[in-house]
Amino acid sequence: MSRSGSFFTGLFACFALSFGVAVLAPHYQIGTLIPSFKEEDGVISDVYPTAPGGNAANGRSVYISEGCQACHSQVVRGSESADIERGWGVRRTVARDYIFELPPVLGSTRLGPDLANVGSDKWRNEPELDKVRPSKRDSAWQFLHLYHPTAVVKGSNMPSYAHLFEKRKVSGHASLDALKLPVDLAPERGFEIIPTADAKALVAYLSSLNRSSPLKEAGAVAAVAPSKK
Amino acid sequence: MTEVASHHAPAPQTSTVTDLTLVSNRSAIDAAVRPAVVSLFLSGVAWLLLSTLFAAAVAVKLHFPSFLNWSFLSFGRLAPAADAAFVYGWCSTACLGVAVWIIARLSGRAAPGTSLVSFGALLWNGGVLIGVLSILLGNQRPFNGLEFPLAAFIVMFAGLCLVSVWLAITYYSDSTPSLSVMFVSGGVAWLGWSLLTGNLLVASHSVTGVVQQLAATWVSSGALWLWIVPVILGIAYFLVPKVTGQPVFSGPLGRSLFWLYFVTAGVISASRLSGGPVPLWLSSIAASGCILLLVPVLGTVYNLFATAKGATVTTASPSMRFVLFGLSVLGVATVLSAISSLRAVDYSVHYTLFDNGLRALLLRGAASMVLFGAIYYIMPRLSGCEWLSSSLISLHFLGSAYGGCMGAAMLILSGLASGSALNDADSNFSQVLELGNSYYWGHTMSFVLLLGGYFLFAMHFLLMAVRIGQPAGEPTLLNSHHEH
Repeated sequence: MSRSGSFFTGLFACFALSFGVAVLAPHYQIGTLIPSFKEEDGVISDVYPTAPGGNAANGRSVYISEGCQACHSQVVRGSESADIERGWGVRRTVARDYIFELPPVLGSTRLGPDLANVGSDKWRNEPELDKVRPSKRDSAWQFLHLYHPTAVVKGSNMPSYAHLFEKRKVSGHASLDALKLPVDLAPERGFEIIPTADAKALVAYLSSLNRSSPLKEAGAVAAVAPSKK
Repeated sequence: MTEVASHHAPAPQTSTVTDLTLVSNRSAIDAAVRPAVVSLFLSGVAWLLLSTLFAAAVAVKLHFPSFLNWSFLSFGRLAPAADAAFVYGWCSTACLGVAVWIIARLSGRAAPGTSLVSFGALLWNGGVLIGVLSILLGNQRPFNGLEFPLAAFIVMFAGLCLVSVWLAITYYSDSTPSLSVMFVSGGVAWLGWSLLTGNLLVASHSVTGVVQQLAATWVSSGALWLWIVPVILGIAYFLVPKVTGQPVFSGPLGRSLFWLYFVTAGVISASRLSGGPVPLWLSSIAASGCILLLVPVLGTVYNLFATAKGATVTTASPSMRFVLFGLSVLGVATVLSAISSLRAVDYSVHYTLFDNGLRALLLRGAASMVLFGAIYYIMPRLSGCEWLSSSLISLHFLGSAYGGCMGAAMLILSGLASGSALNDADSNFSQVLELGNSYYWGHTMSFVLLLGGYFLFAMHFLLMAVRIGQPAGEPTLLNSHHEH
């Protein structure tokens, strides 16, 4: 074999090693996981995770399209980090949590809080006794947060997603979907702000995010996310 | 022959390659590849300006979230578009241009059909354009560094294939390939392999869940460490001996480090996912790889500095100033990467802007500077005239060096400040963000320097592309006091 031939053979061996270590070996370890479930007397229950469906699946596409993953992760790390203490989850997330995600949206930067469990009632982004902590983050809160983030989170660095809403003239009765805005944000008299289909799907997706189900490999689950305060 | 003593014969206006006969004359090689290389550089410079404008807007958005807040310019779309345009637009097209020129020069011939390269460059740029527009219009993938949709990568890959075919025909070596050829061809081969394999895996759903993320990270990490960095090391191994007129300090050392580099850089991709839902052994291998990478990178940088040692031309030659600065920054960035891969540090800085700062340091402080150095060396040989003004070159150096390092340093400091608070549950999340906020102004200001430097370079480059410069034969040196 010529010297150039040996060189390119060696190069290919390096590439193969890289692919084998970084992609192929993990695929054989965690790429073929199935949902966890309980089986008693031939009856299967507590299946987790399940494939996303309904409007939440559409919302997932909106989430990716808007690039939410540029600022939000969906990964809760273990006890070596403060993620669980912050209230972002009750256990660390593991590979099985993401088996139905095509593609997964793990995110890489936290300019905003982690959203792995934002649909859970236990999720919080402030100490438990914080005075400004919202009583609940329901759909109405999420819509308002998307439309004008600082209206619900003082000093928020999140940009407004007002383009996911439309300003509409009220004809007859006001729409049930219309945002209940504070006076300084409310449109002029006779108009209302309505979430578009994309906004509704996005909020459905956020509300569906809950990776709290116990998984053996994820270790112990905190009943309530602990807090130092 | 040194750059100072070299004489550049004016390049013929038309290619002398008309049939399968391969040319061996240097100026004939330059003339043959000129249209292809200049078109790659030209498109690269256009992407450089556009992506930096995008990145400047992203920097402002960090402290003024409502700035330019239209849907197609929202932070979540503009940030990945800016990064992808910089990596695949500027860095990659400039790397391809350099690869075409260096492989032809070191092979001593240019294969016929350079229009194949020009067409390949057109396709590559078309793919990047499709990718950037797709992201801005809301069609992106959620993988950091691999946001372009599949269609964009298909077009880019087709372009890369055309360029690679020409390179493969041109490549010739009757002995062991030189270090420069090894690094450059290694980088090109990796780019084709990873774009094809990674995209096929992700798009065909052959891998699912977290493994999709691993495959995507393998591609995006490789684009930096196994495509762009090897090419800039190849450039350095070409330019430093040429300009100084001194042989490589140690060839055997360089070859050993080459193989160590390609083995270790290939296993570090998962370091960006450590602490997440990936196998622990993979995180450990990646972290170990980041530390082991210090040996080939610092060893190669040492080998190159030892080559340049004692040469007086290093302070006067524009290309040497840019290349040696870029190599120094590469060394610093690799040290920071190794430190941040340590478990205790990683838990603190992971998910902060530290990673973005490190990436900016590598791309703007190291890779771009070496690429500028290469363009300063190559263009006079393609255009048959010398750069018009040494002052413009000096200003470009100051703007891009200070701007690039300052912006990266601000993000790294921001990451360090917010990272320690992020890992302390007693800090409210808004406090975490405020700690990082204080560095955003400095980050934004760095773009004034960057844009100023890049604009001057673009102007200077355009003049050179249309052969407006000083007469050939007397290279434009930075300590020269006479300007025409």
